[in-house]
Amino acid sequence: MADRLTREEVEHVAKLARVEISDDEMEKYQVELKQILDEVMKINDVVLYDDEYMIAPWSVDSELRKDEVGDMLDAKDVLENVPRHSGNYIEVPVVLGE
Amino acid sequence: MRYLDKDIKEIHELLVSKKICPLDLVNEALELIEKNKDLNCFITVDKENAIEMANRLGEMEVDKDNLLFGIPIAIKDNIVTKGLRTTCASRMLDNFIPIYDACVVEKIKELNMIIIGKTNMDEFAMGSTSRTSYYKAPLNPWNKKMISGGSSGGSAVAVGARLVPLALGSDTGGSIRQPASYCGIVGMKPTYGRVSRFGLVAFASSLDQIGPMTKNVYENALLLNAIVGRDERDLTSSDKEKEDFTRLIGEDISGMRVAIPTYFISDIVEKEIKDKFNELKETLKKKNVIIDLVDIKYLENAVTLYQIIAMGEASSNLARFDGIRYGYSTPNPTDIDQLYLKTRREGFGNEVKRRIMVGSYLLSGENAQLYYNKALKIRDDMKKELMKVFEKYDLIIGPTTTTTAYSLDSDLDNPLKSYMDDVLVIPVNMAGLPAISIPIGFSNSKMPIGMHIIGKPFSEATIYKFASFIEKELNLDLNPERGDKDE
Repeated sequence: MADRLTREEVEHVAKLARVEISDDEMEKYQVELKQILDEVMKINDVVLYDDEYMIAPWSVDSELRKDEVGDMLDAKDVLENVPRHSGNYIEVPVVLGE
Repeated sequence: MRYLDKDIKEIHELLVSKKICPLDLVNEALELIEKNKDLNCFITVDKENAIEMANRLGEMEVDKDNLLFGIPIAIKDNIVTKGLRTTCASRMLDNFIPIYDACVVEKIKELNMIIIGKTNMDEFAMGSTSRTSYYKAPLNPWNKKMISGGSSGGSAVAVGARLVPLALGSDTGGSIRQPASYCGIVGMKPTYGRVSRFGLVAFASSLDQIGPMTKNVYENALLLNAIVGRDERDLTSSDKEKEDFTRLIGEDISGMRVAIPTYFISDIVEKEIKDKFNELKETLKKKNVIIDLVDIKYLENAVTLYQIIAMGEASSNLARFDGIRYGYSTPNPTDIDQLYLKTRREGFGNEVKRRIMVGSYLLSGENAQLYYNKALKIRDDMKKELMKVFEKYDLIIGPTTTTTAYSLDSDLDNPLKSYMDDVLVIPVNMAGLPAISIPIGFSNSKMPIGMHIIGKPFSEATIYKFASFIEKELNLDLNPERGDKDE
């Protein structure tokens, strides 16, 4: 087995994770991600006891919240942490191209 | 005169009899933090508000029934505090000022405890050495050349060095218990759902739990009393009735049944840790504790499970860091994709990027079926195996870690090493169980060794009972400033 992922494979996972990878980081991630994934593949050898699965440790018998208006955050406070805003609007760069 | 090294009960009596006031405690904590700045255990110290709060409390009558009144506490920097910078030790949140308090922070404020500051950690709690912090890594108070452990390293150091009596940490795969073991303190990961996660910056939501880190067992139980309870804002929080976790402390432990998994004392554990643990086993036997070795299947799969489940959940939870609503944002992005890609490249450190890349990959397309679903099935099997043991035994015990704290200079780039540090503590998170680490002695190089006590769901009081017996029996001097320190 190869000791590293291909460039294309790393580019693919980086795209999924929405992280840009520079050329000088590429080689490092090719090796490191491969090491982790090799460890992960060990799961294929595990023999299961049964077919049930568990998403969270305990399910609490919880009811849905009542559909009532509760406390809300103040827009002014929220905007304090927003990197770019214009009045009460949060600014984002172009989403659709020309 | 030092007060913060005293037991909380003693400090409380001094407060009640007006021999000291809360400001004395705050001043001492601030002085000690300043003097020990090189330990890097705080990211933010909230001097102004701590002094103001202490002054306010000084004018009030001390609540005689509230042992935590006026006591300084440190909070891990992934638990949000209104108006007080909360960074998760990441460049991504370097400038983030939360606009609300976490549930546990509300509770701490209601009890009139004084928040001194926010503690250092691995970035987004991802790591086992606290070296993935965007800030400088915390140093072990027993030997400054050694790691603190992680991810709650700053909290462990702050308590271990006696800068504050109490701290909160969070534990996703051992992040309270492992640094507690490395720094010679007591750290409890409560049962999943005991403590509301509202306001804990999510890493892996089905594993995360907030818990107390303290000098001793009694104070740990006391702090747990303060933070538990159902919270409508975290629907996984448990509606179990409130109980006093200190109530069984000091009770007789003879006749209790305890299991030691063979894997926990296998060759993966250093000999001097096993020796210390075996010594203790003899003490327990003399006390008529029934101890059996048991084989528990799937324990050796813990790291693989953690990698799939924790990274999968993390990749989803960390998708929120987009450079739009809060936190770091890359300057002058040309379009929305550039904004995401560059913000996340510049804002996240290497360990976080590695984990979210692997997590995204494992959840994508048919991989979800191949790996993630299989992991959920093994997780279920592991829990069933553990619960089977609890049909016959009250507790499961073993060493907390396979080694003692190691050198700060060791290789950080090995992506697997940090998971292996947590091999003994991860199964507890997978099954949602409560577990504590308590100090049981020192290695030849005078580094603390910890013991891990795991209980049935919601059996924290029983764990404290057992832990307090050992603590009393060993009667260790756990102040790194005194005798045992290796210079």
